[in-house]
Amino acid sequence: MRNLIAFFRRFRVFLIFVLLQVFALSVYFTYLNFPRSQYLTSASKVSGLILTVQNDITKHFNLSLNNDKLQKENIRLRNRLPESFQRMQNGWAKINDTLFHQQYEYIPASVINSTSTKRNNYFTLNIGSNQGVKRGMGVFSDKGIVGIVHTSSAHFAVVKTVLTENINVDVMIEPIGLFGLMKWDGRDPRRGSITGISNDLKIKRWSKVVTRGGSGIFPRGLNVGKVEKLNPVEGKPLWDVVIRFSEDYRTIQRVYVIKNLFQEEQNKLELLIPEDKEE
Amino acid sequence: MNIVVKHIIRFIVLVAAQVLVLNQLEIGFGIQFMVYPLLIILLPFDLGIIYMLLIAFIMGLSIDGISNTYGLHTSSLLVITYLRPAIFKLFGPRDGYDVLKEGNMYEMGTRWFISVFGLMLIIHHLWFFTLEIFRFDDMLFVLQKTVFSVPLSFLFCLLFQAMFVTKPNTR
Repeated sequence: MRNLIAFFRRFRVFLIFVLLQVFALSVYFTYLNFPRSQYLTSASKVSGLILTVQNDITKHFNLSLNNDKLQKENIRLRNRLPESFQRMQNGWAKINDTLFHQQYEYIPASVINSTSTKRNNYFTLNIGSNQGVKRGMGVFSDKGIVGIVHTSSAHFAVVKTVLTENINVDVMIEPIGLFGLMKWDGRDPRRGSITGISNDLKIKRWSKVVTRGGSGIFPRGLNVGKVEKLNPVEGKPLWDVVIRFSEDYRTIQRVYVIKNLFQEEQNKLELLIPEDKEE
Repeated sequence: MNIVVKHIIRFIVLVAAQVLVLNQLEIGFGIQFMVYPLLIILLPFDLGIIYMLLIAFIMGLSIDGISNTYGLHTSSLLVITYLRPAIFKLFGPRDGYDVLKEGNMYEMGTRWFISVFGLMLIIHHLWFFTLEIFRFDDMLFVLQKTVFSVPLSFLFCLLFQAMFVTKPNTR
């Protein structure tokens, strides 16, 4: 017993160091492997408040750029309004039919904290579960997709952006309709890559990449970017497709959160798929 | 000024500078500025290592909590705090450190500061980027990030000292 106490006295500095270090690393690695840790995020009350104040000061730096973006989007939407079409056939009655149900709703938000140079980049939004934001909802901006909501507190939400390691958005290369998973290698915030595309297929440069809408997080056809380069993967019959994001994640401010009204129905249905026994 | 108050003010200013200003500066090439290790070298020479570890732990957690890094800053700050006595001993003067002095550039000399703080920053950045990327095939990228970031972080620390550390009267 005395030896034990002597041991603790002798190595107490090292033991405390190890204890604290284990705590810090376990937070980090739990987070990396099972991304559901709810503490130590900027969605908490205090850090959310600090970031709101900071954003109030710095949001004006990119104001004119963001105004231009919003104006362009307004023009695009205005072009679709009934007022901007000339009526070709008169006398048709308008019938409120049941062919179309609304599937997606959008909640506007602004980004109050963002990074783009880290290996895993997260954005903090100024809305939270009070406004109906839940974990797993998609986020996009007027130019392209942004990410998936990772945590939400009452007034703030943290978004796991496209610029993270295991984001795996299912995307589609437009005219031919090829499916693949999009990943980010952690180096250039302007470029990502698509894996899983067989190299016997011809892909044109600058063809559009859009979301596939398979998992119900994003609606089909949201912009992601354009194909920039095709690199062969060594030892596999696959292309590594380099894409250039259409959104510049370094200056992003205004985003929309997607609420899929049929998400639960889809999840319930997909749970019925029998799991593979192998693996 | 009371020495405790002085360090609390430094703590707050460094965390604020890191979180509100330096984390927002993103100039590409994987460069990240980290100025908060300065607090560890400026702590008094006769402070017990356990207290230093606790201070480093609190500081790391407060930075991690705001910038969504989940324990990365805490871990790397703890490493250099733990190694601080060994590094100080390595570069120390022959007859030990003067307890009345402080480990800043003006009181200990430029050469001492560059070697001690440079070494601490290199260890800190290497640990940080290795953990952040955590893949062996990206070791070169870790080195690139470290080599680019350390000099710039060092410059920011010099700037910070020029602003917030009082020079002793030299006559």
